[in-house]
Amino acid sequence: MERTSLEKLRLGIFVILGTALLVIAAYLIGNRQNMFGNTFTIHAVFKNVNGLQKANNVRYSGINVGTVKDIVMENDSTIDVIMLIQENMMEHIKKDAIATIGSDGLVGSMIVNIVPGEGLGEKIKSGDQIISYSRIGAEDMMSTLNVTTENAALLTADLLKVTSALNRGEGTLGRLLNDTLMANNLEKTILNLKLASANASNTLNEVNKLVMAAANSENSVFGVLMRDSLAGLEIKGIIHNLESASDRMQKLTINLDSIVTGIAEGDGALNYLSKDTIFVQRLEATMKNIEEGTAKFNENMEAFKHNFLTRGYFKKMAKEEAKAAKKEKVKN
Amino acid sequence: MNTVKQSLGGIKQFFIEVGELSYFAGRFFKELFKPPFEFKELLRQCYHMGNRSLVLVMVTAFIIGLVLTLQSRPTLIEFGAESWMPNMVGISIVRELGPVITALVCAGRIASGIGAELGSMRVTEQIDAMEVSGTNPFKYLVVTRILAITLMLPLLVIMGDAVALYGSALVENFKGNVSFQLYFNRVFDALDYRDLVPATIKSFFFGFAIGLVGCFKGYYSKKGTAGVGLAANTAVVFTSMLLFIIDFVAVFISDIFYDL
Repeated sequence: MERTSLEKLRLGIFVILGTALLVIAAYLIGNRQNMFGNTFTIHAVFKNVNGLQKANNVRYSGINVGTVKDIVMENDSTIDVIMLIQENMMEHIKKDAIATIGSDGLVGSMIVNIVPGEGLGEKIKSGDQIISYSRIGAEDMMSTLNVTTENAALLTADLLKVTSALNRGEGTLGRLLNDTLMANNLEKTILNLKLASANASNTLNEVNKLVMAAANSENSVFGVLMRDSLAGLEIKGIIHNLESASDRMQKLTINLDSIVTGIAEGDGALNYLSKDTIFVQRLEATMKNIEEGTAKFNENMEAFKHNFLTRGYFKKMAKEEAKAAKKEKVKN
Repeated sequence: MNTVKQSLGGIKQFFIEVGELSYFAGRFFKELFKPPFEFKELLRQCYHMGNRSLVLVMVTAFIIGLVLTLQSRPTLIEFGAESWMPNMVGISIVRELGPVITALVCAGRIASGIGAELGSMRVTEQIDAMEVSGTNPFKYLVVTRILAITLMLPLLVIMGDAVALYGSALVENFKGNVSFQLYFNRVFDALDYRDLVPATIKSFFFGFAIGLVGCFKGYYSKKGTAGVGLAANTAVVFTSMLLFIIDFVAVFISDIFYDL
């Protein structure tokens, strides 16, 4: 009997302990979902709840203050989210608080975040509705990011081209960056330019003075030219004449040009002579032959003179010539 | 041809056994609500099945919690999700590992025990003697045992769950510098009634299956002393198989009810 009551005691402890554990677990789970304790409800209307479920947490400024009691589809674009909030938060949450739907970490479940509004609003009451902002979905964010990264890739590719060109010393910028001599030269040039501009400014001042002096002086040529209207007319006439002369000169040159062109392009002998080198060579050869021919002819004539058949004739011719020469002498 | 005949015979035998088991279960429910009630014997069985299994269940659960946490730590660290350890371990232990491991341990210890005990009583004709003496052996031996384990297993499961979570928290406390309070806060953050309630209901069915198969195998044991061993053996094998089938059905049903 002793043993049995000990067994019963042990069994009792075991059963009570087990049941207590079960009840505690159930209570703790229920407590997390605000099933016990004093709570009040508030509403927020969303267009998209991004997968929010019943019993998801509600946070006010990052503190868990309640849970989602229900999600009701009111019409095709309005979803009413009813939240159970701990009663002791009532004095902290104002009517102008804003509800957003976010996620608990990158892979966590969805939560409702309530953030305080600006300024001093009235305290919230049970059943009140607060303003809501629909969250940007992860997909929208990703698609925007996608475009951004594509652009970034294009930009970096272009930038790479530019920088490599700069490194190689291509283009004005590249040369500017890489050529140290050029930099020195540029510096010198700029210095020279400065000097030159200073000089130019001085010179201009001098010229200005000179011009003023010349213009003011009555005796100088410039002064006379500037003032004398008669001389001006004469000069005008001279210039007019010069103009007409140059006109004529121009016409003459045009005519000459046409003549020369005619010679150059035409079929005349001059063109032939001026252009045909073979002809010139032949002509030369012909002249040579003629020269040789005349030499031979002279020899032949000399032979004729001594020939007995023609000798008399030539002697007669010589006598007549001598007579004629005498007559000439007598006349003179 | 012989093989076909044999397998056909096996299938026929299986159906016969399932049928007999159903009759047995029906008889249990019939006897359950019929007075007189054997309270004393029920309490004795509860003590033997509950208290006596407690240490075994607790040690097993503690090690399971410890090992589960140690094994999943590197993977979770790799994903940078170390802080999700309590959620993961909590849900897996409460939903699945706690009930199934506890039930399997009890199947090994209790189903075989009942099978052997009732088997030897049958073989030594003690059951027949009880019938002769006017005591209802089914009521005294079977109903009390099945009821005891059906009631005790959920309690064992919840204690196993607590110890397993404690083991897991211990690892997190040593390795991850997570305080016990934070650990259990996170666990209960992750848990929901849809985790606790189906698991508890499931545990009742597990207990019932263990008791039913153990008693059935022992009560109808034959073939002398060899039959006692066979009864104990088949009780464990059959129970383990049945546990997984019940588990599958339970998960399936709780999925339908809670996944809306």
